[in-house]
Amino acid sequence: MQAVTLSLADARHPLYERLSELGIPGNKTEQYKNFAIKPLLAKEYAFKEAKQVEPKEGSRVVIENGVVVESPKNVKISFEEDFKADEEHYDALYFMSHVLSKSVIRLEIDADAVVEIEHRISEKERLFAYRLCVTTPPNGRVEIMETFDIKESQNALLLYGVDAEVARDATLRWVRHENAEIDNAVVIGSHRYNVAKQGAIELKTFDFGSGLALHLYKIDLDNYAWTDAQHLLLATKEARRGNVVHINHNQPYAKSVHEARAILKDKATGIFDGKIMVGHEAKYSNAKQNSKAILLGEHAHMYAKPQLEIYTDELEASHGSTIGQLEEETLFYLRSRGVALDDAKKMLVLAFANTLIETLGEGEAFDKIHADFEAAYYV
Amino acid sequence: MHAKIGDKEILKGLDLELQKGKIHVIMGTNGAGKSTLSKAIVGHYDVEVTQGEIIYKGKNLLEMEPEERALEGVFLSFQNPVEIPGVNNAYFLRNALNAKEKHHGQKETNAAEFLKLMRKHIEQLGMKPDMISRALNDGFSGGEKKRNEILQMEILQPEVIILDEIDSGLDIDALKSVSEGINRMKNGERTFLVITHYSRILDYIHPDYVHILQDGKIVKTGGPELVKILEAEGYQAVQKDL
Repeated sequence: MQAVTLSLADARHPLYERLSELGIPGNKTEQYKNFAIKPLLAKEYAFKEAKQVEPKEGSRVVIENGVVVESPKNVKISFEEDFKADEEHYDALYFMSHVLSKSVIRLEIDADAVVEIEHRISEKERLFAYRLCVTTPPNGRVEIMETFDIKESQNALLLYGVDAEVARDATLRWVRHENAEIDNAVVIGSHRYNVAKQGAIELKTFDFGSGLALHLYKIDLDNYAWTDAQHLLLATKEARRGNVVHINHNQPYAKSVHEARAILKDKATGIFDGKIMVGHEAKYSNAKQNSKAILLGEHAHMYAKPQLEIYTDELEASHGSTIGQLEEETLFYLRSRGVALDDAKKMLVLAFANTLIETLGEGEAFDKIHADFEAAYYV
Repeated sequence: MHAKIGDKEILKGLDLELQKGKIHVIMGTNGAGKSTLSKAIVGHYDVEVTQGEIIYKGKNLLEMEPEERALEGVFLSFQNPVEIPGVNNAYFLRNALNAKEKHHGQKETNAAEFLKLMRKHIEQLGMKPDMISRALNDGFSGGEKKRNEILQMEILQPEVIILDEIDSGLDIDALKSVSEGINRMKNGERTFLVITHYSRILDYIHPDYVHILQDGKIVKTGGPELVKILEAEGYQAVQKDL
């Protein structure tokens, strides 16, 4: 990666210190060891800081090559240079993306708003680094649909992330939909969601296609806060994609339901590294985690690492993980009624995926994600 | 025909001819090879036919994939139908029907027509209306699964119907409605192969031929009277005759 010059003052900043403590991720870094991060970071990228302009009014937030070019009426955009990042984050690239972003793009969203955020990368062989910050109003509900248009970004690296603050009694529904249409673009997202008392984060990620992508999450739950985190991955060709998720129950009565499903075709590799930590203070917590993967390709791989780390006795918790192929008996049953083998496979894969897609409820997002899933399946 | 499952030979020179439009019953002790025979006919991956052929409409079924056999009109009602969460019962069955229609160059039944057809058969079988929206066999009771097999049979209208222990685990009401479904399918053209341990279903569907299968071979063939002999004297009566 191209050298970035630091002043002495910068180097003393807590984010630099933390980055230096964690070190640049390599092949032995736990959360990156199945992602082949080393060659990505060793590569030369052109890099320049994004210069923000006054965005024009539009129907959604559009961030093009790191610059906010469009924004709807119900979102107030500002740029914050002294953003207080989470110094406890476990991921070095969380700090690196903060360090490389001159300012954080702050999105102030009206209560009960539904907002679409589109990341658009149209330049090749460049490094794009920026951060978003979203705060929900107390008692409000905000829905975000995040999409990516990176088909013109060959050999580019998007290093970005979200810092979201979910206020007391508020709900944030975050749907991240990545439909990777090219093989050589890379997205690394390092996020932090902080959920205040009785707040909720519904995180639903839908990641389809080839190429490289890894999202790393840290979700902190306060008293009675809860999260319902779901990930659906359909990886094709030589894709290497997945999610690393740390959910921390920090206070009593926190609740988390964490479910990951992956379908891996061809020579694709899927990654699910999930950890729910229930702290000493987090009595009466409820934590459920499950990961399921179907290997469709003979050379497909799934790295699944579901973990519970528990420091209290008074809780309900469970976790599980399965990796396998489509069941022969089930396929046979469908075939015995005249359904062709390929159609039977598709029927079973869709059923597996629909369990998560259907949680979106009927609407535009459901239709789009459902259609993209089918299109990616047939690539 | 000879067939094995794994290394074990189960069918050891079985010879059987099914008459068009007739009801054939196969009875036999546990492990005689009844289910292996039904699996061999529909092309189940467990069964390897090592010798012989199964001729249907002039073609050897053993050279066809399971779905091709189904499209040509062969239907097996499974002893233990699998549960498939996430696959909607109506969606699956319409796909199967449309595949068959396409195979025979017929106009495909559209969604509205299909729902009407499914509702009619559900009502006839005394099934709950939510069978349309539920996932295929998922969480179904034993009786519901068996009725669902009959529902599929009635909608797909096959020509050779194999019923593998369709009567097992059914209470008297379920047995009656399943039998009525089977009787509705009788048209003098369709052939039935009924595999059963018990004679009670034969009070409702009257067989033309009864075959006794023992140690992988048909050892005796007769009419319905054979069932009465078996009931009175058990399989030992057949042994004595051999």
